Amino acid sequence: MQDKERRCEIALRLLLALSALVCTGGIRAEAQTTNHPVDSVIRNATVMTVTHGTIEHATVWIHDGKIAGVGTKIQAPPSAVVIDGTGKYLTPGIIDPHSHAALGNDINERTSPITPHMIMSNAFDNRDKTLYFALAGGVTTAMLLHGSTNLIGGQSVVIKNKFGDDRDAMFFLNAPLSIKFAIGENPKRQYGNRNELPATRMGNFELLRQTFEDGRFYMKEWDSYNRKVASGDKTAVPPRKDLKLDVIADILRGKFYVQIHCYRADEFLTEEAIAKEFGFKIRAFHHAVEMYKVAGKIAEDGTAIATWADWWGFKDESADAIPWNAVLSMRKGVRVALKSDSTDDMRHLNVEAGKMVHYGGATEEEALRMITLNPAWIIGIDDRVGSIDVGKDADLVLWNMDPLATFARTEKVFIDGDIYFDRSADGLGAVKFHGTMHSGGFGGGEDDSDDEGDN
Amino acid sequence: MKVQRFAQQCVAAMICCGMSLPMLQAQEKATKANQSEGLNVVAITGGKLLTVTHGVIENGVLVLSDGKITAIGTAKSIQVPKGATVVDAKGRTVYPGLFDAETNLGLIEIGSNVLTSDLVEDSDEIMPHMHVYDAFHAETTHIPIARVNGVTMAIVAPGSKDLISGQDSLIQLDGKDRDEMIVSKDIALAVNFGAEQRRVAQGAGVPKYPSTRMGLISQLRQTLLDAQDYKNRKNAAGQKEGAAFKVDLKYEALIPYLSGERPVVIGVREAYELEPIMAVAEEFHLKVILNHVTHMDDVLDKIASYHVPVIFSSIWELPEVGERYDAVYAMPGRLANLGVKVAIATDSYEKDRNLPYAAGYAVAYGMPYEEALKAITLNPAEMFGMGDRYGSLDVGKVANVVIANGDPLDVRTSVEKVYIRGKLIDMSTRQTELRDAYSK
Repeated sequence: MQDKERRCEIALRLLLALSALVCTGGIRAEAQTTNHPVDSVIRNATVMTVTHGTIEHATVWIHDGKIAGVGTKIQAPPSAVVIDGTGKYLTPGIIDPHSHAALGNDINERTSPITPHMIMSNAFDNRDKTLYFALAGGVTTAMLLHGSTNLIGGQSVVIKNKFGDDRDAMFFLNAPLSIKFAIGENPKRQYGNRNELPATRMGNFELLRQTFEDGRFYMKEWDSYNRKVASGDKTAVPPRKDLKLDVIADILRGKFYVQIHCYRADEFLTEEAIAKEFGFKIRAFHHAVEMYKVAGKIAEDGTAIATWADWWGFKDESADAIPWNAVLSMRKGVRVALKSDSTDDMRHLNVEAGKMVHYGGATEEEALRMITLNPAWIIGIDDRVGSIDVGKDADLVLWNMDPLATFARTEKVFIDGDIYFDRSADGLGAVKFHGTMHSGGFGGGEDDSDDEGDN
Repeated sequence: MKVQRFAQQCVAAMICCGMSLPMLQAQEKATKANQSEGLNVVAITGGKLLTVTHGVIENGVLVLSDGKITAIGTAKSIQVPKGATVVDAKGRTVYPGLFDAETNLGLIEIGSNVLTSDLVEDSDEIMPHMHVYDAFHAETTHIPIARVNGVTMAIVAPGSKDLISGQDSLIQLDGKDRDEMIVSKDIALAVNFGAEQRRVAQGAGVPKYPSTRMGLISQLRQTLLDAQDYKNRKNAAGQKEGAAFKVDLKYEALIPYLSGERPVVIGVREAYELEPIMAVAEEFHLKVILNHVTHMDDVLDKIASYHVPVIFSSIWELPEVGERYDAVYAMPGRLANLGVKVAIATDSYEKDRNLPYAAGYAVAYGMPYEEALKAITLNPAEMFGMGDRYGSLDVGKVANVVIANGDPLDVRTSVEKVYIRGKLIDMSTRQTELRDAYSK
């Protein structure tokens, strides 16, 4: 947009804001820094809240990017922009807790099995077409992780899928730090093929333990130094600052949510034992296709899973994957999210959730929770997104029908109250995007792609 | 009127099957005694029948006898034969077994484990003499898992790395061994044209011919010319008494395709690749089935102008930069609306059970529901010359029938019963066994 136009628009919005204030007689005035209308309402939709049931003919009132009201008797300000939801379904925005979209071919720093100092936001390409496809499929938030060649890969980036906004504006502000671990076939293959450690699961886990021993030592050195400084010791010499061990120490200090790629039941048990040995918590096992075998035990540790609806058979360690894994694990007390790990599945996580009704008899609310509130918990942002509750970010998807049906289509996607995708708009429907998209890396469906990614 | 006509056909069929009219007029309920007489007759009653060829029949009756469909119609028009096993399908949907027009079933077990793969012999790009039936692994765990979601027939094609990668087989997803499961050997030739088939340099290696699309087209033309030449020399030799003729299996394999006797499935994805490959097909009068056509939404009229059927096995592939997000999802519907005969397929070995959902996506993005159902039943059967045997609930067709608790294309629906050649399939799989073992 031209600067002049932009200034005009801002002026107009300020006027609107003022008039809204007058009309409602006392909503707390807030500085308008974003370009969404102050108030909007989606009227007469079937609203699937995730936390408090499904409400027919309901209104959702959005104020200043947040959900300000949900129910059948909501009085929004008369100035509010009205979106008719008659015959349509409204859900929270879909949250994908495991994606490698928009990281180009920079997913794996596959030169060493321990690379915790890799920060995925450094590779984030906000023009990647896969973000657009995911947006059109209703994904409003995603955690983009390092790949799985490394035992400790790198630090995830959490984005709001505000496709078309500036790169900086797409980072999910103040999301907790997450770090990716991986165990099993992928590190085995990556380093075993070079005749390097680790070529086995024994090597996997022992190298992990040694890394934590190193981190423990490093942490003690720094703690000791810091104590000396605090006590006024002017002669204290700081230990060498090591970016890699810094992160390991912070994992031990509990500053990272640990997200572990692993498939097999024995791996979950070993990982939990190592976590206990070194005193950190595992936030979620990703893939976790054999969780149904040990769900009772893992439920006690409080670790969640991010799994697929029905993927299986594509590698040896997925041979025992069953499509009932998610629901069986949920019934035994494990918090379950569905994730994509795929630029294809990322576009239709709603349909993947629908499969949970078929495989195991999840209720529609349980199924929907697997792609909204539960992945939000895994990322650590469930107090801000993942359900339609007053005070949460207005990240919403309007569907033409029940979103768990195969035939469902995304009509409109709202993020922080703004419309980012509108199927009825001309062109691509990504209403804020201008310019040229990029072709993407992992699973981008491109000719000659030599990066198969690492499921 | 339609129902009446079918009722007549049904009666005629019953008579053909050796049943008498009095039998048809006998009481509805089967008795145990009758069942033990081994008549092998099943009557599915009360269900909503999606016939594919003649609409939906509410409260229908479908009779299966000795592996065939022998009667179909409304409850009023069809008498349940005496001795039939009655299956109550009230509140259920009954439809023909699904037909996946492009799969790799039985050619690979574990994707990442190369030793379990017989997908494609890529030591050379011209491999028409590779027969899928030589590698087809009837006991693959993937087949039971696909069939309990209603997939009963599948074309098994070799992998797509070669320009000519071999010959497909048609299988039914039940049988005690390979011979029972392979319904038709060498049912089609698999040709692929695009980026993947080029023998470009690997790593620091050197490229092999053909390493470009120009090379691929020339190589294909030369191969077909050589095959014609071979055929002519063979015919000439055949007319000479006692003349020795050295058989070359590679060219031998191509003979039925040169005469247009059997279809050639051409996998091609990009709009700009369509004309070059179709020019070769026309030059040699090949009987073409197009496959993939993923990124061709700007040349739909061109596709239609060839008057060939299309297998759309790409619905889960991503659009390219510049394409709308639903460009690929919308392709089957747009092609069908232009009068093109469309099959929807999975092109998979481990996601075949999702075939009905692929059709469901096509419906979401504009394909009429009836067309989508046809695209996974009758259309693929017809493309491969099997339309008289599979793909609809019609008298005389093979009794491949599915009973589900809802809309077959909806992910929330569960398949409850599957009949293949009239036999009720065991719904347990390795996956249900694991589920049950760990649910205790």
